[in-house]
Amino acid sequence: MDDPVFTARLQFALTAGAHFLFVALTLGLVTLVVLMQLRATVTGSEVHGRMVAFWGRLYVINYAVGIVTGLVLEFQFGMVWTGLTRVTGDVFGVPLALETIGAFFIESTFLGLWIFGWDRFNKWVHLAMITVVAATAYASAYFILVTNGWLKKPVGFAMVDGKAVLTDFGAMLTNPAAVLAFWHVFFGALLTAGFFVAGVSAYHLMRRHPDVEFFRRSIRIGMLTVIVSLMPSVVFGGVQMPFMEPSGVETDPPALAQVAFGFMAFDWFVMAWFALGFMVIFFVKPLLLRARVVHWLIIAAVPLPYFAMILGWLTRELNRQPWAVLGILRTEDAVAPLTPGAAQLSFVCFVSLFAVLTGVNFWLLARHARRGPEVVRLGAAGEAAAPLPTPTF
Amino acid sequence: MEIVATALLAVFTTGYLVLAGADIGVGMLLPWLGRSAPERRTVIAAFAPFFLGNEVWLVAVAGILAGAFPGMEHELLYAHRQLFLLLLLGWVVRDAGLWWRGRFDAAWWRAGCDTMVVAGSWALALALGGVLGSLLAGSAPYGLPIVAVFALHGSGFARLRLPSSLRHRAVGSYPLTAVALAGLALAAGARLDLGHAVAGPSSLKIVTVFVLVMLPLMLGAQALSWWTFRARVKGPGYL
Repeated sequence: MDDPVFTARLQFALTAGAHFLFVALTLGLVTLVVLMQLRATVTGSEVHGRMVAFWGRLYVINYAVGIVTGLVLEFQFGMVWTGLTRVTGDVFGVPLALETIGAFFIESTFLGLWIFGWDRFNKWVHLAMITVVAATAYASAYFILVTNGWLKKPVGFAMVDGKAVLTDFGAMLTNPAAVLAFWHVFFGALLTAGFFVAGVSAYHLMRRHPDVEFFRRSIRIGMLTVIVSLMPSVVFGGVQMPFMEPSGVETDPPALAQVAFGFMAFDWFVMAWFALGFMVIFFVKPLLLRARVVHWLIIAAVPLPYFAMILGWLTRELNRQPWAVLGILRTEDAVAPLTPGAAQLSFVCFVSLFAVLTGVNFWLLARHARRGPEVVRLGAAGEAAAPLPTPTF
Repeated sequence: MEIVATALLAVFTTGYLVLAGADIGVGMLLPWLGRSAPERRTVIAAFAPFFLGNEVWLVAVAGILAGAFPGMEHELLYAHRQLFLLLLLGWVVRDAGLWWRGRFDAAWWRAGCDTMVVAGSWALALALGGVLGSLLAGSAPYGLPIVAVFALHGSGFARLRLPSSLRHRAVGSYPLTAVALAGLALAAGARLDLGHAVAGPSSLKIVTVFVLVMLPLMLGAQALSWWTFRARVKGPGYL
């Protein structure tokens, strides 16, 4: 920890990792919430309306920590990774700028409208709002992966006086290291949400929740999401590999990269067995609704996609070392000339804060998931609501 | 292009200070505006629908800096890294307090979350005041009076939003402090040497045109939000 470069790297790894734990579920869950709200809006289905309220609340709890952890990442580039902005800022900053303007800003504004405008809008307008939130969430993931993909495979630029200058933005947007990673994350996020929705539903079915209809539909949505998204996620992860090979640039990844890859492959293997099992259980109603062993297994599977996500990121980021931008900028040159003390202060502040955020959020998420849908009330607590604190959705 | 990008940066910076400055100010004054837990929940309801849409103006500022003035991003942030550390910590703590407040039904929990909101708001105001003070007068402590402007701005906003039972505790004039904060933002921005930090022509064009294209949607969504929640608060809300 005396080495400021190591401290800065560990800080970024831990904060980005914590952020991604939330992002993965947020992206996938918002997609399922959109589909539920679409069904509720089109058919007027009462149970789907309640599903939007219940899963939407878990989504918002999770989103809140995702957004605040994302803020810290956005600012870290200027505060800690000054070499990155100094040498490659002209290229690297463009997708980041597009992300904040075209995604983050619009996503937050519309999410505010969706949450606080729960009972104030026409149902189609309200559906359009969450759809915009989902679309911009994916736009955000895409632009961030364009940024990240460029570190892995720098394209569309020229070096002028020791600085990277953007020459071909199209090449950057279509960079295979970005596009393939985006689809990998897209399906990975759905997988995370699928296991989450299935796991929470299994918990309530196991406890013989009276609202069987609600959780039967939910668990089937979760399982179907897992079945549909597992293979594409694996395939897009796999086809990235050739693009991940360094092209003429010497890298020296730490042994941890190999270890992470090994565990990730095993994790995918276990998830594949779950997906196969889901294909059977999906059609066998007694197993789905009554078998507690099955419920336990599904609950136990909830962390699997999280492990895969983190291990995947470790593999991706470590394989590039010792380069921050492959062949252009070494990691040690990307970090600001911080004193060990300054690097440690920042590390202690952010890492302890993120640990608390992650812990409390996990507890809140588990608590609200356990309480089930009966306590959920639709509508922002406004004029008509009781004056005392009322959980809305 | 550079002039347009500079104008956009000015728009988002003043937008942030005026809009988010109000909810930061209300957060600072929370213990005085709301004396009991239900009162504090009503005070939070005065800005709750807006804070998410307000704070992203600063995210947009960071984005425009990164894309159009990459040299300035690290100069500004690295030079003021202690202040930005305080800003980020305050921001995260405050938002967590707001989001978590209604998620658990216990007096100690709400008191803890209220403390997070108040402490976070003060940290944000101190950090922003420090950055402005440092840019305008060369040293962060000169920004302390600006901290008071944030509080007054929040108070002026609360006067417009709170129900009559709580309104009498708030003073100030929202338009007046809004002009003051906008003036401070522009004056501080004018002291930055943006010219030497500007991105190359190709990057600058992409970022500037993209922001201009998105601007109607961004401002439209914001306007819809202000219009939807324009009515004076009558009681506790969602958070």
